[in-house]
Amino acid sequence: MLGLPLTFTVPLVLTALAALPAIWLLLRITPPQPKRVDFPPLRIMADLRPEQEMPARTPWWLLLLRLLLAAFLILAASGPIWNPLAENSSRSPLLIVLDNGFAAAHDWRERMNLALERIEAAGRDGRTVALVATAETPAAIEPASPAAALERLRSLKPLPHLQDRQMHLESVKRFMEATPDANIVWISDGVAGVDGQGFIDGLAPMANAQQITVLKAERAPALAVAGVENAGGQLNVRLIRPEPNGRDSGTVRVLDLKSLPLADTRFSFEANATETHVAFNLPTEIRNSIARIEILGEGSAGAVHLLDERGKRRRVGLVFGGTSDQAQPLLSPLYYIERALAPYSEIRTGRGGVADSVNQLIDEQVSVLVLADVGGLDRETLGKVTAFVEQGGMLLRFAGSRLSAGNDELVPVRLRRGGRSLGGTLSWDTPKTFAPFTRESPFFGLAVPEEIGIRRQILAEPDGDLPAKTWAALADGTPIVTADKRGDGMIVLFHVTADTTWSNLPLSGLFVDMLRRTTALAGAPNDLNAESRNAENATVAPRLTLDGYGIFTQPPANARAVPRNYAGRANGEHPPGFYGSVDSSLAVNALMPDDRLAALDFGPLNARIAPLANAQTVDLRMPLFMLALLLLVADTLASLWLGGHLSNLTGRLRRAGAAAAIILGASLLLNPASDTSAQERRSSMTMESSSPALVTRLAYVITGDSQVDETSKAGLAGLTQVLSQRTALSPGDPIGIDLSRDEVAFYPLIYWPIVASRPIPSEAAIRRLDAFMKGGGTVIFDTRDAFGNRLDGAPTAEGQYLRRLLAGLDIPEIEPVPADHVLTKTFYILDSFPGRYATGQTWVEVLPPQAEGEASRPARSGDGVSPIIITSNDLAAAWAVGRRGEWLYPIVGSDQRQREFSYRSGVNIVMYALTGNYKADQVHVPALLERLGQ
Amino acid sequence: MARVRVLPESARSPGRQETESALSLAHRMPRLVLEARRVAANLAHGIHGRRRAGIGETFWQFRPFVAGEAAQRIDWRRSGRDDRLYVREREWETAQTVWFWIDRSASMGYASDLAQASKIERAIVLGMALANCFVEGGERVGMLGLMSPRASRRIAETMAQTLVADRASLEEDLPPQAAVAPQHEAILISDFLSPVRDIATMVEGISSRGARGHLVMIVDPVEETFPFQGQAVLHDLEDGLSLRIGDAASWGKAYRLRIEQHRAELQELARRRGWTLTIHRTDRPASEAALRLMTLVATSRGVGAGGR
Repeated sequence: MLGLPLTFTVPLVLTALAALPAIWLLLRITPPQPKRVDFPPLRIMADLRPEQEMPARTPWWLLLLRLLLAAFLILAASGPIWNPLAENSSRSPLLIVLDNGFAAAHDWRERMNLALERIEAAGRDGRTVALVATAETPAAIEPASPAAALERLRSLKPLPHLQDRQMHLESVKRFMEATPDANIVWISDGVAGVDGQGFIDGLAPMANAQQITVLKAERAPALAVAGVENAGGQLNVRLIRPEPNGRDSGTVRVLDLKSLPLADTRFSFEANATETHVAFNLPTEIRNSIARIEILGEGSAGAVHLLDERGKRRRVGLVFGGTSDQAQPLLSPLYYIERALAPYSEIRTGRGGVADSVNQLIDEQVSVLVLADVGGLDRETLGKVTAFVEQGGMLLRFAGSRLSAGNDELVPVRLRRGGRSLGGTLSWDTPKTFAPFTRESPFFGLAVPEEIGIRRQILAEPDGDLPAKTWAALADGTPIVTADKRGDGMIVLFHVTADTTWSNLPLSGLFVDMLRRTTALAGAPNDLNAESRNAENATVAPRLTLDGYGIFTQPPANARAVPRNYAGRANGEHPPGFYGSVDSSLAVNALMPDDRLAALDFGPLNARIAPLANAQTVDLRMPLFMLALLLLVADTLASLWLGGHLSNLTGRLRRAGAAAAIILGASLLLNPASDTSAQERRSSMTMESSSPALVTRLAYVITGDSQVDETSKAGLAGLTQVLSQRTALSPGDPIGIDLSRDEVAFYPLIYWPIVASRPIPSEAAIRRLDAFMKGGGTVIFDTRDAFGNRLDGAPTAEGQYLRRLLAGLDIPEIEPVPADHVLTKTFYILDSFPGRYATGQTWVEVLPPQAEGEASRPARSGDGVSPIIITSNDLAAAWAVGRRGEWLYPIVGSDQRQREFSYRSGVNIVMYALTGNYKADQVHVPALLERLGQ
Repeated sequence: MARVRVLPESARSPGRQETESALSLAHRMPRLVLEARRVAANLAHGIHGRRRAGIGETFWQFRPFVAGEAAQRIDWRRSGRDDRLYVREREWETAQTVWFWIDRSASMGYASDLAQASKIERAIVLGMALANCFVEGGERVGMLGLMSPRASRRIAETMAQTLVADRASLEEDLPPQAAVAPQHEAILISDFLSPVRDIATMVEGISSRGARGHLVMIVDPVEETFPFQGQAVLHDLEDGLSLRIGDAASWGKAYRLRIEQHRAELQELARRRGWTLTIHRTDRPASEAALRLMTLVATSRGVGAGGR
């Protein structure tokens, strides 16, 4: 029309434009409503008639506004269309075949617009439309109204896999048989799918050449990533394209799991090549964190390659056998190991006791398990660790007082009990340093700093195969790092501690390098993955999948789990993405490592081929209606304003705003209330279990022997009385606890009388006890057999019971209470700890050796409280008082003051458990004063 | 364009807020101005300390007997206490009464957004503040037709209570035509939007015994300037009149002329009766009008006393 690419669907409506002058006249004589003004002086002015009764005219701009409104409405009703698609006038149905594999994602918007145009044009011609998306699962093709087809088209998205067009041949064939005169428009991405040329070969005989139009880019523009090779210290990425298409260069980016970019590299194709490689030269630790490789700006699932856990950094689990003291991190060996390993590996630390930690870490599929100064393991845990090692895990152990006290078979070489001190007060040696590493050692090539000094070590029995197992030795030839293969795995033992008590090795850079090389020898995590062993039948569910644009989304509803050993390319049921848990995910990619993309040959189809250019058809109806609507709104506002109603409106709006603010404030006030009620509900701790936390009390283990339990209770009650009378501590009533049931974390001290006739407590109870001792609690084991002890040292029944009990626990080395132990000074000055009997020996955890050059002190202590005190003096019987305050049991011994001393022992033990090494520090004071010359 | 607002009937009675603002305005009034002028003008009006003298309102002071006076005026009881003779002087009872009247008709409940307050609020505040000042200055205050004269300290609250209790005057445009005693003064606060004829009748009625008075005309700025344009329908609040005007701007010119004329007639009326007219716009502070009125009251007494 008029040389413009503009047509009207209903041109007749345009005649209504002729009515515009009439509208103008009508509007001109209908002025807006006058405003109402309340005006008191009117009474005395009633006779003052207005001079000019002629109403004010409608303002010209309002007139113009309304005329424009009418004009736009008329124009919109006539259905103007800009750039109409040159359509043929046939009324035959239209079949649109739309490629929506990942190759179409890059320019999906244009493809959508093309399909949209075609469907709208068909709608204007009154043709029915059918739509086939080639990457979807095939369904029967039904011609539908253009509106329904549009609806369906808008719901289509590019899918992240390579399509199999051949699947749709059957339904297309049926459609063509039903409507032989249908026209086919194929909006193609030009990339051969899984079926190659199959679809074209099948389609060609169905329709004649005039019926088929293929819309495609001249050269298929897709780019894709197919295969990544992690070799030779670099990451090789293979890029492919279906045919040389002019997109010769670009950028490849690698990202980690949190989608943070790690590195970019330019790539370029040879002008005629369909394949190229780019290499990323990255440090191992960065390379290990790569989770995703993509061609920047491509926006297609094919241009994204996901990397799973295979070849990732090692996961290291740390377990410490000693008590974990949060307040003094520098005393914990884990601190040094963690600092050394953290840059190169993923650190997991166990929670709870040793057994719990080990179980937890093995469940977390660590590849290296570090046991720092762990002595014995209970049988179940030992079995687990052994299995772990034999299935390819690496066990890295560090020596320590517990290990030197006794060990299991999980060490590479036979160890001598006890250790060897170098450079102490009793030896002439100076601390030893390392010998240079031998060629066979994995540490070969590392420089040994001069200042390394080993003060104490665990010695290996000099077996014949010891040199072969030695990775590092001291200058005098004694091994300091030994290793042995077990099954598929390996056990490595450092003969020193991982903290600085035995050597200054953990402070050196050499330690970091040694640990790094050691962990590098560990197997890949999925080798020891329980799931991979029965990979054939295990399946993993999709966790995070890519959509057609290569963006991570939640898995779609039709995504299915894949077998753990799935190695195929993604398809409709298995979209590309990560499958399985975060810890051991499996990556499925749109393309397999050696895939190539091929260009489709449309020759056999002999069809009309048109470029992907958009006709830019614009339906002007909507914009015109919108304009008219906006003008209507403006006109309404203007009328209101002229009538003086708008000012009221602003006031009302302001009030509404205030009301909204009040409601908002009220709801904010109400919300915290609901929160607190939720918190109240959440506190599930009963009064019974929380009351021990409110008052300090002594606790005893209920053995099940009522006589013994009564005695324990009465004894602790007597001690409680004495404590309240003599010390600042007033404990609550003593309480009996059942280890298998009760929470023990609240009690500082647990008294456990040994009854040989009772069964050994359950594994869970033992573990709970272990956690209690590791957490800083103290347990008094009282075998109550001092009277029956024989001089030849043969263990009594109670002694044997205690040994069986402690076998499952990780017990530090113990010794009889030395005379300078802080336990002898905490409240009273004592030299023995008698109970009902005075002949028994009392054992506590070994104190660290006295530091060199330190003056002998009256009291020494370790870093914490001894978790265990073993006595045989039947303390409770000596303390026990009856209801009237009488003593329940006579004292066995000649000393009249023995009962008094037994109470004093009890007071000292409680004070020791509560104050720790405090007294050891206090006794410095006189010495300090003396030095200051006062 | 100015926005106007009509207050409901309940807002035309004084509340706590009006009372308080009246009291605060009264406190801000320079009482001394009133006092000083009064003392200067006529000693007869300045009877300070009268109430402090106690219940015997007639006693003023003892003064020494002057030879030549009538011997019966000697107060023997007092004179017996020492050697001199004393005369008991009595208080000169000339405390005057100020009558107030506050228009509370519908046209007073009117405010535009140009004003600081509605007309009725301003009128009540002004009336109660003045009453408070007068009472503190030793006068008695009454309300025409509503309240007998009194000199209560809580005069503002009393007035407010009286006004609230009285519903009838909500419809009245003009005060009852009760004659006021010659020595008394009347202060009429209204918008005086009634025909001048009616006002003249009323003023003559009040001043028929020679009382003096002051008209206070409360005007909303909109009523003075008529800042409207375009088409409008004007509504009267009391008689239900309405007037449709095509071009408010041109009508406004005529209106301003007319309101000037109305005021001139009022002025003339007041002048004839020896009264005063004060025009107070509600966009001005209330203290302005209060100050002017106190000055006028003080001056008029001077004139009155001099004249009599």
